[in-house]
Amino acid sequence: MEIGWMVITALLQITVVLITVLLTVAYMTYAERKVLSFMQDRLGPMEVGPYGLLQPIADGLKLFFKEDIIPAGANKIIFSIAPIICLIPALIGFAVIPYTEGFTLFGMQGGVIADLNVGLLYIFAFAGVGAYGVILGGWASNSKYALLGGLRSAAQIISYELAMGFSIVGVLLLSGSLSLVSITQAQSGTWFGFIPQWNVFLQPVAFGAYVIAAVAETNRLPFDMPEAESELVAGFFTEYSGMRFAFFFLAEYGNMILVSCLASVLFLGGYNAPLPFLSFIPGFAWLALKTWALLFFFIWIRGTFPRVRFDQLMKFGWKVLIPVTLVNLLVTALGVYIYNN
Amino acid sequence: MGLIKTVFMTELLMGLKIVFMQMFKPYCTLQYPHVKHPIPDGYRGLMSLLRYEDGSERCVGCSLCEAACPSNCIKVVSDEVPGQPLVRYAREYYLDISRCVFCGFCTEACPVDALAMTKVYEASVYDRRELMFDKRKLYALGEQFLEDGKAYLVAHGMDDGTLYPREGLGDNRYAFPPVDTAHGGEQPEQIGLTREALEVEEIR
Repeated sequence: MEIGWMVITALLQITVVLITVLLTVAYMTYAERKVLSFMQDRLGPMEVGPYGLLQPIADGLKLFFKEDIIPAGANKIIFSIAPIICLIPALIGFAVIPYTEGFTLFGMQGGVIADLNVGLLYIFAFAGVGAYGVILGGWASNSKYALLGGLRSAAQIISYELAMGFSIVGVLLLSGSLSLVSITQAQSGTWFGFIPQWNVFLQPVAFGAYVIAAVAETNRLPFDMPEAESELVAGFFTEYSGMRFAFFFLAEYGNMILVSCLASVLFLGGYNAPLPFLSFIPGFAWLALKTWALLFFFIWIRGTFPRVRFDQLMKFGWKVLIPVTLVNLLVTALGVYIYNN
Repeated sequence: MGLIKTVFMTELLMGLKIVFMQMFKPYCTLQYPHVKHPIPDGYRGLMSLLRYEDGSERCVGCSLCEAACPSNCIKVVSDEVPGQPLVRYAREYYLDISRCVFCGFCTEACPVDALAMTKVYEASVYDRRELMFDKRKLYALGEQFLEDGKAYLVAHGMDDGTLYPREGLGDNRYAFPPVDTAHGGEQPEQIGLTREALEVEEIR
């Protein structure tokens, strides 16, 4: 009986979270097109539904009905598996994101699908697996563009994963846990009654480094080397079409939402309201607000910055970002040590 | 100072600010199928044949348009009006608008201002044979876009509505151009440009 309720609550939460994430992905594409258009004095999609609101649905339907092409000379098995390897890590990470305060549903704990005590490591491990999808997809396509895109992606993700990891260790030192639920709970409350106890105020450098690394991790402009249109056609998914292409697309946007969620949880207090008197607004609304703010930032920098050159990207990652995050880590460790003694 | 600028990435922040402010500026998009640009009177769109106010065809079948056409897309079959040996008309008139380059030479060549271009630019069809305009289609266009056609002729300085008065023509289709009577003869009245037309010419 106990097990039954457990499964039901877990499935319920999974359904709700997954549907929310997929809807967010769909409307992220819409929001991106709209916001970019406004930044460029355009209107964006206006034809499908009022103000083009049904555009994501039309796009999805179009991709479903597109012909699925496997290029001659491609490794069929790996070619088919790569999009799945890419997509699943992007979606599976949401299992450990606490989306609201803990509540009890049918006698089971809610608020997060799985409160892993190594939640952060879990997300990072799967992000590493996601890189395989990109590399394998690029290699299996039997295309030079795709292969180059895959190689670049490998180099970029490895470089920036390091910086991202280092920027997060500071947060871990502060909260003393890898569980995202504990990290969020440690950020409730305020200092002096008006500054929310968010890690971003203790770790501003780490937050900046995390955001930059996150942009690079998700292959977004200005770090979209793996799919630089003007050089590599579409990078690692040049040869993909139809549903497989849609999977890569979903993965890209899913990853964006995941890193934004993670940034909200790690640095911006997750579902915590910024000030106590605002806590009547439910937690998931706060998380959504913070995530959307970060997603807007993603679009914003896409509309602003040109793509960096590959050597600039590598130089920035290894010679600037990693040293900065290392120094930040050192200072944080010293500070925590002195504070605790 | 340079170091501070580098560390705090002030240039990047400046760029971000500019792009952010750009969001609140009005858009430049014209929602084309729903909203259309105003078309100037001199616009050279689809070709049309015009009629006089009394409904008679202006075209006299002289084939000058055919001769003037640089892309050879006009074909005129001229014939006499039955019972009126002096009056000719175009029995058939073919204009392959898919070959037309919209130069407007034909309208300028036309001595009676029978040809005029409309403001229609959405000429897409599913069957290319529909782009082979015949006399009926051309006159239908002329009837439908009569005002456009007249405005076109005025805009291109070919007609201001008084150039070819229809009064007192008798059997003739149009008033003949002024006869050169400089060798002693008097200028007959009401031939060629009227007083109003001359005034318009001066203003131009």
